[in-house]
Amino acid sequence: MRKLVSLLTVGALSVGVLSGCSDSEGGASESKDDVLKVWSFTDELKEPIKTYEEKNGVKVELTIVPIADYPTKLKPALESGVGAPDVFTGEIAFLKQWVDAGYWENLSDEPYSVDEIADNYVPYVFDLGKDKDGNVRALSWQTTPGGVYYKRSLAKEVLGTDDPTEIGDMMSSMDGVFEVAEKMKQKGYKMFPDEGSIRWFSQGANPEAWVNDKNELVLTEDKINYMDYAKELREKQYTALAPEWSPSWFEGMDKPIKVKENGKETETQVFSYVLPTWGLHSVLKENAKDTAGDWAVTSGPSPYFWGGTWLGVYKDSKNKEAAYDFVKLMTQDEEFLTDWAQETGDVLAFNPVTDKIKDDFSEEFLGGQNNYEFFLDEADEITPGIVTKYDQQLDTLYGASVLQYVEGKKSKEEALEEFKKQAKNAYPDIVVD
Amino acid sequence: MKKLDRYGYLFIAPFWVVFLTFSIYPVLLTLYYSFTNYTGSPGEEVVGFANYARLLTDTYFIEAFFNTIKIWGINFVLQIGVALLLALIFSDLRLKLKGLSFFRSFFYLPNLITISSVALLFGILLDWQHGSLNMVLMKIGLISDPINWLAEPVTAQLSVSLILTWMWFGHSFIIVMAGVSGISTDYFEAAHIDGANRWQMFTKVTLPLLKPILLYIMITSLIGGLQLFDLPMLITDGIGSPDGSLNTMVLYLYNQAFKYNNYGYASAVAYGLFLITLIFSAIVFKGMFRNERTAQKKGA
Repeated sequence: MRKLVSLLTVGALSVGVLSGCSDSEGGASESKDDVLKVWSFTDELKEPIKTYEEKNGVKVELTIVPIADYPTKLKPALESGVGAPDVFTGEIAFLKQWVDAGYWENLSDEPYSVDEIADNYVPYVFDLGKDKDGNVRALSWQTTPGGVYYKRSLAKEVLGTDDPTEIGDMMSSMDGVFEVAEKMKQKGYKMFPDEGSIRWFSQGANPEAWVNDKNELVLTEDKINYMDYAKELREKQYTALAPEWSPSWFEGMDKPIKVKENGKETETQVFSYVLPTWGLHSVLKENAKDTAGDWAVTSGPSPYFWGGTWLGVYKDSKNKEAAYDFVKLMTQDEEFLTDWAQETGDVLAFNPVTDKIKDDFSEEFLGGQNNYEFFLDEADEITPGIVTKYDQQLDTLYGASVLQYVEGKKSKEEALEEFKKQAKNAYPDIVVD
Repeated sequence: MKKLDRYGYLFIAPFWVVFLTFSIYPVLLTLYYSFTNYTGSPGEEVVGFANYARLLTDTYFIEAFFNTIKIWGINFVLQIGVALLLALIFSDLRLKLKGLSFFRSFFYLPNLITISSVALLFGILLDWQHGSLNMVLMKIGLISDPINWLAEPVTAQLSVSLILTWMWFGHSFIIVMAGVSGISTDYFEAAHIDGANRWQMFTKVTLPLLKPILLYIMITSLIGGLQLFDLPMLITDGIGSPDGSLNTMVLYLYNQAFKYNNYGYASAVAYGLFLITLIFSAIVFKGMFRNERTAQKKGA
């Protein structure tokens, strides 16, 4: 009896082992021929992949890695080629590093020659996909310019109008923003949730890259002035002291929140949130339920963009043709992109489609405003060529230093000194004066 | 006989293969990187001791060292204090408390929560404007203005220390309790008959006999504490704010390697951390060894 049991066990185990073998062999041979491997950090590509599979008859295997681990997981695969994807996306935070590292196929070469269709794209978006030699490595379907979302009811009460153009005019300069903020304060409202809100305008009218061609750290006058603007916002109590992404930051979108200042607690409402295109769908709509329809979007003192996803073909892919077909579907297929835009509201960077559809947009959440056209106009204002691979980290370091000044822990000079020291420590190659 | 020997090697082979590939190889590779300017992509150059020279004069690393010691030190003193106090209460013959096993698991619970949840939870509790802690303190009139706990270097460090204490005192309590149960009740009874009070029994009987256990807790806690990373990383902006007060050695290492791509320098930081851990452990071991020797001498 015992023998029988052990025989059965061994038998069962070996069947498992053998079937495991045959499975993986089948998988390996399949993946070489007709499975396209795509890596990304969101599930955004699921729908396009369905369309692609139907259209091209190619099976796609999508691997989603959360953004925090994405670069660390993807890099070894790209370096070694083992288990590497055929197509992968890159987020703005590490885009510049990757286009220069040469992980993506050069799309300026034959047979892609994407430079010929450069005019079809929003300039700054197309430009960001280029490496340091000017070759296009990655394309994007979307553009992510930003605006200032505000509550119409508060605007009417305090400013006498809720018209986006008029309010945009009022806020066309930093001084204008502060005038509006003062009026808001008089009525017991707060202009912004926190001081960080205005960091997107810190570039001012003459934006420059954090690190220039000579590898020097550039602190423009506008960026330094931003410190004072941030401090003024705090000192004049124009903000609700609700840091970005904190629970109270979200709460302020939909209802009055409490602020403790000078030993007393007051209830107030937040007038505006500085957010880009995607902020509407993934932040505001998700959190502002009662105030839906009471919002509008307008421009701030200077144009800016925040985020964005690019994609390209892996340079050592064995499936380049199919891989590029997928990139084409995502970035050049008029029929698909039209559907995509109408379904998701994503603001596209592909002019042939946006030219056709932009006039018909009307966003209920924004009281019927055509935010599509607004954002496309904003996108055209953005200066290309000022994004560097250092941006993400330098912005964080600068933000921390500015906060020290805002909270009165450091003088302006000390805070700037500290930032320069930190920048030098993080990037020893950069020349810091 | 010979055959048996070979089988022995076969049996330990899996361990060695795994150990060599996943422990020794990375350790040696890191040593190599620490002498290069590796940035994450191939093509690094050997730069000699430049990284180590930089490490010795790096004010951020030195600051990180003292931050780590401060945060760990406060946490350790509190953690051991609470654990001892609880052990004293639970082991008291006259109190005869019930439900030891319940409290043992109860005190251990915080340790089971993932650190990211802990960071999120305390981030909300300690929130400047809307946190429960400030609300309670203001309601009972202890403070009139809310305290921005995570924006002041001192309170931020203290907060992290206290959270760590909360997470780890149960763990220490279990070990201390095990040590206390190992002490024969004869000693306590004898002391009781001799007229010792509770405090005398604690300092003259319990503590000396617990010394090996306490040193064990200290060493494990020290090695873990020097590697403090996750909580400081998650509870503020990940670069050690406010004002670098939560910048710990491993957080610094992480940022240098994975945020700024200075893998070469980060490897040197890793070896610096290794040396510091080694020195601290040696000091603690030495202390234990000397104590035992003097004890033996006294006994003889």
